[in-house]
Amino acid sequence: MGQYKFTTVEEMPPLAFSLESTRKIPTGSWRHVRPIYKEKSSPCEIGCPAGENIPQYFDLVRNGKYEEAWHKILEDNPLPGVTGRVCYHPCEGQCNRGPYDEEIAIHNIERFVADKNFRNRNLPRSGEFHKSEKIAVIGSGPAGLSCAYQLARKGYRVVIYESEHEPGGMLRYGIPHYRLPKNILNKEIGDIKSQGVDISVDSKIGGNVAWTELEKYDAVFVAVGATSSRKMEVDGEDLQGVYSGVEFLYELNNGRKPKVGNRVVVIGGGNTAIDAARSVLRLGKKVTVLYRRTRSEMPAVPEEIEEAEKEGVKFEFLVAPEELTGNRGKVSKIELIRMKLGEPDESGRRKPVPLRNSNFTLPVDTVISAIGEAPDLSFLPYSFLKKGVRIFVDENYSTGVPGIFAGGDSATNPNGTVVNAIRAGKEAAISIDEFLGWRAKSDGAPREIVKPEEINTFYFPHEKRVKIPRMKVDSSVSTFKEVNKTISDAQALEEVERCFSCGTCLHCDVCMTFCPDVAISKDEAGEYVIDYDHCKGCGICVNECPREAMELVEEETQWV
Amino acid sequence: MGQIKYQLPPEEILSPGHFACPGCGGTLTMRYVLKALGRKTVVVIPACCWSVIDGPVPYSAAGVPVFHTAFEAAASTASGIKAGLEMQGDHETTVVAIAGDGGTFDIGFQALSGAAERNEDFIYVCYDNEAYMNTGIQRSSATPFGAWTTTTPTDSPKAEKKKDIVQVLAAHHIPYLATASVAYPDDMIAKIQKAKEIRGLRFVHVFSPCPPGWKFEPEDSIKISRMAIESRVFPLLEIYDGNDYRLTHEPAGSPVRDYLKMQGRFRHLKEADIDVIQKNVDEEWEGLKGKLAYSMKVHKSNNSVRSQDKEVSLAKAQSRKGIKRNVR
Repeated sequence: MGQYKFTTVEEMPPLAFSLESTRKIPTGSWRHVRPIYKEKSSPCEIGCPAGENIPQYFDLVRNGKYEEAWHKILEDNPLPGVTGRVCYHPCEGQCNRGPYDEEIAIHNIERFVADKNFRNRNLPRSGEFHKSEKIAVIGSGPAGLSCAYQLARKGYRVVIYESEHEPGGMLRYGIPHYRLPKNILNKEIGDIKSQGVDISVDSKIGGNVAWTELEKYDAVFVAVGATSSRKMEVDGEDLQGVYSGVEFLYELNNGRKPKVGNRVVVIGGGNTAIDAARSVLRLGKKVTVLYRRTRSEMPAVPEEIEEAEKEGVKFEFLVAPEELTGNRGKVSKIELIRMKLGEPDESGRRKPVPLRNSNFTLPVDTVISAIGEAPDLSFLPYSFLKKGVRIFVDENYSTGVPGIFAGGDSATNPNGTVVNAIRAGKEAAISIDEFLGWRAKSDGAPREIVKPEEINTFYFPHEKRVKIPRMKVDSSVSTFKEVNKTISDAQALEEVERCFSCGTCLHCDVCMTFCPDVAISKDEAGEYVIDYDHCKGCGICVNECPREAMELVEEETQWV
Repeated sequence: MGQIKYQLPPEEILSPGHFACPGCGGTLTMRYVLKALGRKTVVVIPACCWSVIDGPVPYSAAGVPVFHTAFEAAASTASGIKAGLEMQGDHETTVVAIAGDGGTFDIGFQALSGAAERNEDFIYVCYDNEAYMNTGIQRSSATPFGAWTTTTPTDSPKAEKKKDIVQVLAAHHIPYLATASVAYPDDMIAKIQKAKEIRGLRFVHVFSPCPPGWKFEPEDSIKISRMAIESRVFPLLEIYDGNDYRLTHEPAGSPVRDYLKMQGRFRHLKEADIDVIQKNVDEEWEGLKGKLAYSMKVHKSNNSVRSQDKEVSLAKAQSRKGIKRNVR
């Protein structure tokens, strides 16, 4: 305006005209609600026991940053190649895309990221020990490995004592090769070692290593797992040809071939039972799984049950063993009783009730019993408090004996899943850090969780879930080679594109696109800035945000 | 396919601080039109919401020259400005008239019809909020059947159907005619940019929701526009030379009820009224499908905008202009 100064009427233009921008008018004063960027938790990351930040590592995959994605997972879980294969993925059950079309194949993306970094040894941090305390971990299963890894990253020197000749615990000796190849496990244990964790194998505490050896440590984490099979408590359990599931898989994983006959039955409905049955197929024999409830109550991962069925494992539901009879010390017959489902028990599943006079017998020559595992705590020098068959721990994983913590299947993890063991290790490491005085107790308020109805599904056209490449059934049952394959780069990208990334801003620009007041822009770092001098608080940005990463908050009334 | 993302021209020509109500569809229309046309543009505005939105003297929000003209005169003023620019040897600047539905369907109609018949060389954008909004929500011939306005109160809501302005303009055989929505900004900008390359009268009819006039929360502006498109109340089209129809977005065909239920101006409607509206929408949709099928047969167009051959239309438009104007 400055350059236009009119002194006479003749100098003035024929029409009134405006030269100033309305930018000088602070229309932000009209506003009574204010849009803000506020990220929330996705249900999958809450559903993941290990607490992996799924939307964030998905975003890295989306941008082709596979190494950074791997580093992101490693913050919470040092074994993504393992969990990407064997985890029961409760995250997917929580996925907001589930009710819309099909949940995201999160565990396949996790596996993809791990396998992309199979040759990558460049972990975010290698051992630097700025803390003087030393910590011992008993057991190198997932709980022990997770705890040792987290402690090493926090700057502690950690030694793991492992009674077996090789580390890994149940990951090595309880899961068959076709589901978890040993090279994957070895690689990830190598990664953990590279963080400065020492693993002392062939060292059985209470055996060749005295318990007093541990007195030189400032804290101990007990994670010995659940390695002894529960008994069926029927006559004839000691006959030849009767194995426990754990024992059977241990033999196989040690490179031996346990002798099985032509009429094999597996008793139980958990993952050990399914693993044993599918292994029997791979030894060239037919097999039937006997389970006392129905398919829907089976604790095994549903995909595993399907795979087993596809490969030719037979199932007999609602039957329980009553007696095993033998012929010259070898098992020859199994007597079974039919069951029906009664009232729900404490696990929430309907309890099996025997049907009177429904007994029948089957001729068998091999019986594998896999009805659950319990920890073997005979090595403990003095009596710890127990809860059932497990070590009692409080919510900080403390056993009550100062400095001694416990977690995983031997203490906290009755379902015996890998990912819950990883969680126990991670959380125990935090407790140990607090116990040793390096970390103040934190109680940050939990973030809100995005609900399915809060997603703006317009931005997500329906698309099918990725199909997992798999070995053909006829070739898969003749070998212990891995059955499921890693998805391709293209498949991984398609799958992460399907992800809503609930509560996490992906800088999709929708907020900026629809602002009628031109009040949203990006700063040099690419972050959104809201011009509150002009934003009228219409709320379109918040309403249109595809993934609920924004919120409208009430303006505080200011009396002037 | 993946997630829907928009990539719009980055330059912001419209300024904040304008006087539009929160959640205004007409303002988003202006923002996208300016993004698509760039700074070498003259805007002509008759009496309409934008006469207010642009700001009080000495302020202006548009960021390009704006000529405020009388209610009935948008098309004739734009014709005159274009002729003036041509006389000065400026063949580059785009002239665009941006008018509300009142200034297009009713009061400005004879000027528009005349300009269309003469095939004047400017773009006419109508941001249609379906009533005279800034004067107090009086009915216009763009107000839909059954809607409340201050002059069609709920005990006698509007009994007539909305004027089919697209058909009226198509009957003028203008080279390019399109419908657009603020909820589909990529589609709208593509159409405005296409219009910029064509000579002669180009008409773009933009569905622009009005939170106070339609009685809904401003945050739902985009959602409501989207529902209008997806329920086939307002199909997204292009018409070349008044007879070559193309559909640019295949609507999902969601129930019209969902669209109506979100707005206070339709709250008084009974189920039977809603059924009538649904029937009207279905009939119009069938009619449009017939025209699309005919276009496909006669013009061999494939009914998809994006693979559009704009050169053909450009050549057609130019050949009709012939000697009358300098060919750019």
